[in-house]
Amino acid sequence: MLFALVLLPILAGSVLLLMRGEDRRVFRGIGVVVSLATLAIAVAARSDDWSAPWLRAPFVANFHLGIGALAFWLILLLALCTACAILAVDSARPRALVGQLLLLEGAMLGLFVSRDLLLFALFYDLMLVPVFFVLLERGEHPRDAWRYIIYNFAGGLLLLLATAAFGVLHGTTDVIGTVGNVITGAWAPWIFWGFAIAFLVKTPVFPLHTWMPNTYASLPPPVAAVVGAVQSKAGLYGFFVIGLTMMPQEIARYSTALIVLGSISLLYGAVAALVQTDAKRVVAYSSLSHLGLIVIAIATQQPLALAGAALYIIAHGLFTAALFLGLGYVEEREETRSLARLRGIGASNPRLAGALTIAGLAMLGLPGFAGFVGELVIITGIVESGDIVVAIVAIVSVVLASAYVLRLFQGIVNGPVARDLPVRRDLTWREGLAVAPLLFALLYLGVNPHAVLASGAVPIARAPLSSSAGVTTP
Amino acid sequence: MTLPFTHLDWAAIVPLEVLAATGLLVLLFDLVLRPYAPRALSLGIAAIGTLVTAVAIGQQYGANVAAFNGGYIVGNFSVLFGEVVLLGTLGALALMGRGGAERESAGTIALLLWSACGALLLVAAATTMTIFLGIELLSLSLYCLCGLADRKSAREAALKYLLLSSTASAVLLFGMALLFGASGSVSLAALATPAMVGNPLFWMGSGFFLVGIAFKLSLVPFHAWAPDVYEGAPLPITAFMTVVTKAATIALFARFAYAAIPNGASQMLLLPIWIVAGISMIVGNVGMLAQHDLKRLLGYSGIAQVGYILAALAGTTRLGLRYAFFYLAVYAVMNLGAFAVAAALSSGDAEEGANLENYRGLGSRRPLLAAAMTFFLLALAGLPPTAGFLGKILILAATAGSGFLWLAALLLVGTAISLYAYAKIVMAMYRPDHRVHGTEIGVTPLPWVSLALCLVATIALTFYPILPSGLLPLVK
Repeated sequence: MLFALVLLPILAGSVLLLMRGEDRRVFRGIGVVVSLATLAIAVAARSDDWSAPWLRAPFVANFHLGIGALAFWLILLLALCTACAILAVDSARPRALVGQLLLLEGAMLGLFVSRDLLLFALFYDLMLVPVFFVLLERGEHPRDAWRYIIYNFAGGLLLLLATAAFGVLHGTTDVIGTVGNVITGAWAPWIFWGFAIAFLVKTPVFPLHTWMPNTYASLPPPVAAVVGAVQSKAGLYGFFVIGLTMMPQEIARYSTALIVLGSISLLYGAVAALVQTDAKRVVAYSSLSHLGLIVIAIATQQPLALAGAALYIIAHGLFTAALFLGLGYVEEREETRSLARLRGIGASNPRLAGALTIAGLAMLGLPGFAGFVGELVIITGIVESGDIVVAIVAIVSVVLASAYVLRLFQGIVNGPVARDLPVRRDLTWREGLAVAPLLFALLYLGVNPHAVLASGAVPIARAPLSSSAGVTTP
Repeated sequence: MTLPFTHLDWAAIVPLEVLAATGLLVLLFDLVLRPYAPRALSLGIAAIGTLVTAVAIGQQYGANVAAFNGGYIVGNFSVLFGEVVLLGTLGALALMGRGGAERESAGTIALLLWSACGALLLVAAATTMTIFLGIELLSLSLYCLCGLADRKSAREAALKYLLLSSTASAVLLFGMALLFGASGSVSLAALATPAMVGNPLFWMGSGFFLVGIAFKLSLVPFHAWAPDVYEGAPLPITAFMTVVTKAATIALFARFAYAAIPNGASQMLLLPIWIVAGISMIVGNVGMLAQHDLKRLLGYSGIAQVGYILAALAGTTRLGLRYAFFYLAVYAVMNLGAFAVAAALSSGDAEEGANLENYRGLGSRRPLLAAAMTFFLLALAGLPPTAGFLGKILILAATAGSGFLWLAALLLVGTAISLYAYAKIVMAMYRPDHRVHGTEIGVTPLPWVSLALCLVATIALTFYPILPSGLLPLVK
């Protein structure tokens, strides 16, 4: 089953790339069916475990697949985002785009079900390839594709080196999801930084983020949604299943460095989002800010903060995907992303404006949405760990988040209808259907955060907040 | 008078005999049947002969025979490297199956087979005499083959290769003479004695010997000939040289490094080679950046790839040798695949597939070929899910494991540079191209078959890596 989970989207994607014709309905249909099928398989195969031997020397490596608790939620997020993104595809050449999205889904599914570090590294590099090709073919400038691939491939090489070193020292790389593989000794810091830099590039975290705004702005909205929502979580997922379980002492030793980097990302991202004029870049920088908060949570290793981080990872994925898709609709209709030109969507396209507003409110952390619970639990955890300064930085950034989200919507949604921009029809059923599941999932996790918080995604020492936390008013 | 050799000696070299006889057979058939059967027949005979040779060599797996007074040692080492040599030969033969180019007739094929004979001799050679015999047999045929195409660069390539390769041979021979002076024997086994460590003749001889090998492997200070020669030679010959010559020379180097150096001298004697390998990775990959010709580009790529393979041997561990062999096999497949794409795009002597200009917009004109080329280039760069990825990680493990961290770091830097170079071609293939295109090239079956096989092999090797355990070169 797990084998099929990874192979199905990859095979389907490859077949689509080799087919002919550009019928939007057909290819969208195939793509949505395949990604929903992976969703079903993931739920059915939740407790499966599959393994086949790969290498015996210089270290043991297996094709070991299994679904961990956090991985399960990420897989659901991935399958849902891919289905929604494919449904939202409205390109004149949809076949290749759907194919690449399915390949991307397959590679990332492989990453999340890998129980072997070497396999993890393989998929970590593999998932760069479809995005690189989309950027080459459809990006705004080839420069963006280069920047993306060079940064991430360099990170991938470090991951590879760290994996090889880990394997040689530890004798096996079949270690994800099993306990008792803590690495210590003179080599541990080197291995840790090999992994950590790879993950920090992918997340990204200041100062390794410079590829990110260009990539997100340049990608077609459906791909940007999947990359921004799920691919950016690959690094954080790595911190959870590799960093926290195998190198907790190293994380503790270098926690100051990680917290400082995370805090800079948190503030810098928020301030940068506040001054962008390109709507997609606002979301890109906001992502830098939000993910910085998760890096801080990981660095504290406080159980509560970690539980909150797991929830916030999912929540961030949902609202980022919804926002990228929504902004994609805006760009399709108005043919610009410039905040200086966009105005009055609320008057001309009320349904689109509504969807954007809900996604935006989820992003700024409105109670009732999953993002709020995540932020709240993380900040509570940070306070409990005694880092008051960091907690203050986090709260300041939450305030800044309100500012840039409101600025974004003030610009796009409110005001009179812009005279110099075309007025097109409002959201169609299909377009609405592509965003709605993401928003409903945000609401569901907002009122029932326990689903993720208590799923055992992280070793929780104490029971986290009760399930009613999501509906508390501030 | 009795012959000093028994039937056992002759049985050991059966594969060579088969291959050499195939060459003769090709010539003979061409002489008799030329009007009736064109090149297809010659190619068919050659391919069958090569396959029979491969089977004959495979039969020797597990054997351990020192034939001709220790001059020719059959073992798993010679079998496995021999199979890579034959793989490269088959790949080169397949590339000859494209249209046009009448010059690549029976004579060419026979020369190619005899050159492969030299390579087979080299992978099993364990005395300086057989080594020299193998090297000269390998090179002499290639001097002619390089100059086959009717263009100025081909003649230049042939002359350049003749002059530089002969110089290398002379240096090698001088080293062998000094080694003979040191040990009083042509056998490599005689070198691995403690007495040699203090013998200046041994050090000088080994030095010249290694310089000769570095020359043949086109390692960095001696690399300048390779891209020029590769550019000038016909496409199948270039493919042959990048795979077969490299495989045979690496086998020679491995035998020398693993078995012929006395304990205590290994570290110091081989250190310059590891340094040179490290520099080759950087220079080869940087050299790729400015190329406009695919054969030149793959020539520079080959310089770097040899660097990777040697990096696995650093520390001369058993595991390192296994990974070096694995990467060599993978390199052979990926490289032959890339050449097959170029051959599928070429319609004869003009070799359109060698000109990188012709790859612009290939993604829309020939999507399958473009996809295959992309795959092979990314494999050469070491991206998953190709065997190039696994090969790199194994080399990293071996190199770092034997304490050559600086070499592992250089490998990473080189890989990062190479990705840019390979991906530049990929980008050219997939960017929209607004030029008007001339003639379309018809489908040429043999390169396509070769391409498909290489593609499958490159993926399969990732999941079923061949890491033979009994792979240690012997000298006696």
